[in-house]
Amino acid sequence: MVIPASIYYLFTPMLVILAGILAERAGSPKIRDIVAVAVSALGVVFVWTLYSAVQAAPEKILVFSLGGGPPLGASFEIDMMGIFMAFSATILGFFATVYSYNYMEHDTRLTEYYTLLSALVVGMIGVAFAGDFFTLFIFWEMMGIASYALVSFRKSLWGPIEAGFKYMVMGSVGSTVLFFGIALVYGITGTLNFAQISTVIRGQPINLWYYLIFALFVVGFGVKTAIVPMHTWLPDAHPEAPSPISAMLSGILIETGLYALTRVIFLLFKPSFFKVTVSVLAALTMTLGNMLALRQDDVKRMLAYSSIAQMGYMLIGVSTGLAYGLMGTLLHVLNHSLMKGLAFLSVGSVVHETGTRDIKRLNGVGKAMPLTSLAVIVSFLGLGGVPGTNGFVSKFILFNAALGADMLLLVILGVLNSALSMAYYLRVIMVLLSGEVEEDLTAKEAPLLMVGVTLVMAVLIIVLGVFPSPVVGLASKAAESLVDNLSMYIGVIMS
Amino acid sequence: MDATIWLGSAFTFFAIGLYCVSRSNMIRILLGIEMILNAGNFVFIYFATQHAAMGVVDPLGQSIVFMSIVTGGCVVAVGLALIVNAYKHFKTVDSRELRRLRW
Repeated sequence: MVIPASIYYLFTPMLVILAGILAERAGSPKIRDIVAVAVSALGVVFVWTLYSAVQAAPEKILVFSLGGGPPLGASFEIDMMGIFMAFSATILGFFATVYSYNYMEHDTRLTEYYTLLSALVVGMIGVAFAGDFFTLFIFWEMMGIASYALVSFRKSLWGPIEAGFKYMVMGSVGSTVLFFGIALVYGITGTLNFAQISTVIRGQPINLWYYLIFALFVVGFGVKTAIVPMHTWLPDAHPEAPSPISAMLSGILIETGLYALTRVIFLLFKPSFFKVTVSVLAALTMTLGNMLALRQDDVKRMLAYSSIAQMGYMLIGVSTGLAYGLMGTLLHVLNHSLMKGLAFLSVGSVVHETGTRDIKRLNGVGKAMPLTSLAVIVSFLGLGGVPGTNGFVSKFILFNAALGADMLLLVILGVLNSALSMAYYLRVIMVLLSGEVEEDLTAKEAPLLMVGVTLVMAVLIIVLGVFPSPVVGLASKAAESLVDNLSMYIGVIMS
Repeated sequence: MDATIWLGSAFTFFAIGLYCVSRSNMIRILLGIEMILNAGNFVFIYFATQHAAMGVVDPLGQSIVFMSIVTGGCVVAVGLALIVNAYKHFKTVDSRELRRLRW
């Protein structure tokens, strides 16, 4: 059991808070921002070294525990799927931190802000790498608590407090329900390790307890994932949070919930057991998300509802139960993290400069902020699934996989929803490009760093849309490591 | 018999917690969340005694209970901070007043 040195990245929020306190004492707070950016860049390097370590391992899985084995320490099982999620999280985390450098410069308490942001990223990495429910739950709560505090970061306004309270109540009821489910699983199996639980439960005849556990897990993970009956916190929390945090929440936090749900239900149950439930949830989630997004005038609220709809598309891939469908889901997670991250960041620049989130008042802002508007247009076209952007590739794979699994109704609903979603994306693009800027709005191009980040992400969206093969290969390895190589995964851990 | 008492009280705890969460007082909502968490702790403690090996209670079930108490404390801290701020803005701890964000 070799512990890769890069796993100690999980302790870096401590470094950020230390640097923040010292920099504030020294009277040069900019050092803290630079340390935060450097730490978030280090995250990408850390995942990259773990990726090469996983590739070098004979079974493509790293199994180790930190601080002694269970019950004392945290146990990690790093496979390609975890690497893929951690990769998406650290890349978006890096972009959000760089963007915050300019976006948050007029706010106070930035030490807390950067510490919580890096704790959020670390929590998501921990969820992606967790090897047992113990580790999963701790990092799940870490991610949750950091995000509650970040949503209500601007506590002098009433909006963030109201949204944060709603999110805190729903999110922590979700985690406690999840904890109850974990307790019942522990009762049946006597262990918390994923592989050992899987060997005991998977393939057993289904009885009432398993239905109860499945329901508790769907509700517990589903609150953070914003699956439709549990989605009501999202359209409040995402618009009220600062824009980099909206990008993190929408781009990767809800996807981490989906990742945890997928990993757990695939390990515990056979796909035939959850297929119908998940496909019904997928249909509900995408339809309701798109319908409600149509009637929004607040641009960030519209993007929040659009995230719910995109979660519906991702659930299609899970409901197929095939490696190909799951590959579509994972690819859409990465692409959505780029597209929705960019959408929130570039719209955040518009909001930052003009001071309004009302679509009806943004007439002609595109002429005053050409580069930012270019980024907005690229991200919105990507979210709508226009060919040439990465959103098209992953949506195509998702619908194709659903066709392969004989779920024609879901495909028809998905394509109709895709078309419907263009209605509200195109509306914003049209408003930005037409008409004259209103008298009382001061629109000018955003600071260099904010424009730079959004343009880099826009280029990535186009590049991954035209040359998707490297990430498709990565996603396909990740999906196979969960679906097809499940017995190998279990074998490595048991040995 | 033992199982009925322990699991029965855990599920009762769970139900009381859910009832408290559906009320309008913010403090009561927070207590409800804690009760649901403690229902989970109850189940863990009971099953830790059931999975005892060589006369020693399973340490895994015990350690996760400690950790869940710690994370529960963190959630309560954040929750109380939010309630204090909500009280500053809305002059009440009635969650029905937090209805300004709609659609």
